[in-house]
Amino acid sequence: MADRMIYVDMTSQNVELKPFPAKWQTLGGRGLSAKILLDECNPKCDALGPENVLVLAPGVLSGTAAPTSGRISVGCKSPLTGGIKEANSGGQPGQHLVKLGYRAIVVKGQPKDASKRYALEVTAEGAKIVPADEYKGLLNYSLCERLATKYPKTTSFISIGPAGELRLKGASVATTDQDNRYPARHAARGGVGAVMGSKGLKYVAVDPGRASVVHAAERKKFGELCKDYSQAYLSGPLMFKHGTSSVVPIANMLHTFPHKNRVSGQSPDAKTLDGARIVESFESRGGGMHNCMTGCIVRCSNIVHGKDGKYVTSALEFETLTLLGSNCAVASWEDVAELDRLCDELGLDTIETGSALAVLMDAGQLKWGDAESMKALLREIPGGSERGKAVGNGVVAAGKFTGHHRVPHGKGQSLPAWDPRPLKATGVTYCTSPMGADHTAGLIINPGLTPDKFAYESQKVQIVNAVCDSSGFCQFLQPSLDNIRAFYGALFGREVSRDEIHGLGWQTLCDEWEFNKRAGFTAKDDVLADCLAKDPIGPANAVFDVAPEIIAAVYTKMTPGEDMFSAKASG
Amino acid sequence: MPSVRIPPPYRGPTLGAAEIRAEGETVGVVLDWVERKFPGFVAQVLDEDGNVHGFVKLFKNGEHLVRDPLRMPLADGDELEIIAAIAGG
Repeated sequence: MADRMIYVDMTSQNVELKPFPAKWQTLGGRGLSAKILLDECNPKCDALGPENVLVLAPGVLSGTAAPTSGRISVGCKSPLTGGIKEANSGGQPGQHLVKLGYRAIVVKGQPKDASKRYALEVTAEGAKIVPADEYKGLLNYSLCERLATKYPKTTSFISIGPAGELRLKGASVATTDQDNRYPARHAARGGVGAVMGSKGLKYVAVDPGRASVVHAAERKKFGELCKDYSQAYLSGPLMFKHGTSSVVPIANMLHTFPHKNRVSGQSPDAKTLDGARIVESFESRGGGMHNCMTGCIVRCSNIVHGKDGKYVTSALEFETLTLLGSNCAVASWEDVAELDRLCDELGLDTIETGSALAVLMDAGQLKWGDAESMKALLREIPGGSERGKAVGNGVVAAGKFTGHHRVPHGKGQSLPAWDPRPLKATGVTYCTSPMGADHTAGLIINPGLTPDKFAYESQKVQIVNAVCDSSGFCQFLQPSLDNIRAFYGALFGREVSRDEIHGLGWQTLCDEWEFNKRAGFTAKDDVLADCLAKDPIGPANAVFDVAPEIIAAVYTKMTPGEDMFSAKASG
Repeated sequence: MPSVRIPPPYRGPTLGAAEIRAEGETVGVVLDWVERKFPGFVAQVLDEDGNVHGFVKLFKNGEHLVRDPLRMPLADGDELEIIAAIAGG
């Protein structure tokens, strides 16, 4: 069993291995990050200063044979929202860390010389900080190509690009996938990359060597669960077999495919941005679907090639096609693929970046649909141009830079594709989630839901997703609380009750809300940008007009119905 | 009468109804019936050529309808379930 944590002090340049407390047995990923941050991070600290704490935490089931269970959480105080943040990513490092016996990496302090770069090398023997100035300023792909020549083939990487080094608030943390070790998976939201950059940490190299899979206390039962769950999933509808990009037409139909900075919820370019076009391209260009981590049975990630048959990017997702595509009136999925690649190289959240670019367009500072100008602007970012900084710092910064009025955000974080005007219950999640406007915190796509059910549905999905994000399972595997507690039970060798699993999710939310409260958040912050209350969308002229008392009801623990335990994780 | 199970994202036109008892002897006829009662519903299931959308799957009594789903017969007590891939990051 993994029973240690790696504590890294970037001020003193010391690394210490600490035992993983037994009382935290059921904590991993998001839940573990929340606990550590509440206990060890000053919520009022400067998010880019030495007091912030960066947590890299695989899930409870990571490293085991459970299918699609290797997700890793990156947690900190967010420089974008000012509150707690957990951003979740696929890729290999989560599995590798737990196989080596580590439940988390906790990074504190800050190098005295902000111009220096460091790396953390993690092996079965332990962890050490090494100088990394030679990699300073490198784009993520170039960095990983060079690292691949330095480290054993088994090594996976966690890295930042220039955006993180510049401490831009839209900066992401990249992880490498299992095939080519491309840095195409991103813990993207909330500026977690900026925090890693503020610690002077350019990359983490995790070499699992010959470390083997983590075994459950009840091996036979766990093995049967893995087999049964996988068989049931693989004999089902396989809704994500072509990736999330295939969601474009239905989102467009539901008026939640934002166009031109969200003035419309439908795009005239839905057909050319449809993921079906990407799938069609595989035949002539190569590429295809793959899994980003060992043991993934969903295989929702696409490998996208250009017209010349060469690799362009991986994991070209629905949100990216929306925010860098439709929302900027870019019509071609191929342009979006190149923009996605640029964001991955720089280490930027495609949602926040697309939203920021759309604000510049809406303000007349870029032309709608001008993909070449978007690419040129992104390429300016490492050089530190003012407009590059504005875009790299996210939608609110872009709003201030332009003085524009339409800045769609929740707690300072850009809205994702799923619009709270036709999807009001999702808007309730955006208002109450400790993460700000984050669809992975709890997406509810049910246009027929009546307002009296919004609070319960939002609380339900937030609990389910909090548990999922703590477990290591990918949300696209869509496990329920009953599924997760069955796996936990076999892993630990004891019954995990419905009360306990529900309690884990609720406690994670409470820890995160408490952090935000101590950071200074109040009920006044549980609102969305004005434009969402004023600008109607769709045939029903929907605005976000959910009553404050409905929003506030999410904070009171409700008695879970049977549906709480059968509801699938949704993101 | 066969019943039609509606996924949450499609419950706008059905005013929140999760399950509808419908009339019709085939899947296609049942969907037409639902459309007459709840205008706007069928566009979520069928494209402009009248084919099932690529992101939608139809199940009859738990069995995935792959070939010619609209012609599949439905009898009293049969359940037609519509599943759509909706999520995404």
